[in-house]
Amino acid sequence: MESARIERLLDAYFEGNTTLAEEGTLRDYFTKGNVAAHLESYTPIFQGFVQAKEEVSVKEVTLPESGFRIKGWWYSIAATFLVAVTVGSIVFSNSGLTDEEQEALAAIKETKEAMMLLSSNLNKGTENVVFLNEFTKGSSNIKYINQFTETKNRILK
Amino acid sequence: MKQKEFLTTVMPFKDKLYRLAKRLLVSNDEAEDAVQEIYLKLWKGRDKIGNYKNPEAFAMTMTKNFCLDRLKSKQAGNMKIVHSNFQNSDNVERKVEAIDGVSLVFQIMETLPEQQRMIVQLRDVEQYEFAEIAEMLESNETAIRVALSRARKVLREEMIKKYNYGIS
Repeated sequence: MESARIERLLDAYFEGNTTLAEEGTLRDYFTKGNVAAHLESYTPIFQGFVQAKEEVSVKEVTLPESGFRIKGWWYSIAATFLVAVTVGSIVFSNSGLTDEEQEALAAIKETKEAMMLLSSNLNKGTENVVFLNEFTKGSSNIKYINQFTETKNRILK
Repeated sequence: MKQKEFLTTVMPFKDKLYRLAKRLLVSNDEAEDAVQEIYLKLWKGRDKIGNYKNPEAFAMTMTKNFCLDRLKSKQAGNMKIVHSNFQNSDNVERKVEAIDGVSLVFQIMETLPEQQRMIVQLRDVEQYEFAEIAEMLESNETAIRVALSRARKVLREEMIKKYNYGIS
C-alpha cells in the first residue's frame, strides 16, 4: 500500500515534478529501512544524497588581517596621542612660551640691565663734565698768570 | 562590514559551498582551495554583501563560476581528470568501493554534465527550492526542472544497470 504511494512519488520525482516535502518523504522511506524488494535498487540514490550532505569542509578559512581600516585607526589614535603629549608638555612646562620666546625674554632682560648700567655710568660721567668746565675757567685764569708774567718781565727789564 | 559581522553572514553556508565545489572539482583539496578563494573574494567585496538580498545564493553563484573556470583551464591544460575518474584503471580502491551502491551513485554523478551535476547537488543534496537554484545558476526554473529530470533518469538507469551487475 505504502509502496504504491512511493511508486507514484518516484514517477513524479524522475520527471522533476516533486516538491521538497515529497522528496523528503522519499528520502525517509529509502533511508529508514523496510524498503519493498522491487524498489531496492533506488535505495543507494537516496542514501547517497543523505551521505553527500554529511560531508563538511575541514580546512579553516583564513582571511587577511582585518585590513587597513583597523590598522589605520590605531595609527591615528597613536598619532593623536603623540601630538597631545608633545603639545601638553610644552604648554604645562613653559607656561605657553616656546624655547625661543624664553630666550628672547632673557635676552631683553639682560639688555635692559646692561642699558641701566650704561646710563648710570653716563650720568656719573656728565657730573664730572661740570668739573671740566671749572677746569676751563681755571685755564682761562691762567691767562691772568701769563699777563702777570709779562708784567713781571717788563719790570725786570 | 566588520570581520565578526562578515563571518556570521557568510560562514553558515561554508559547507554548502564546499560540497558544490567538490561536486564539480571532485578532489577534496581543490574544493577546499576553492572555498578559501571564494571567501577571500567575499571578504574583499564585503561592503557590498549587505546589498545582496541573498548572500548565500550570491556565494553559490561565485562558487559555480569559480569552479567552472577552474575546470576550463584544466581542460585547456590537458588535465582532464573529471570525466575520466569513473574509468580510471589505477583507482583500484574506488572500484572495490564501487560495489557499495552509494559510491556508485557518486561515480555516476561525476559523469553527468556540469550543469546537471550542480542541479542534483543543489536540489537533491542541499534541498533548495527551484527558484533559489535558478538564481544561483543564473537560469530559469523550467530549464532547471528539465535538466534535473534528465540527470535523475541517468542516475536511475545507470544504477539499475551497474547495481544489478555489481550484486550478481
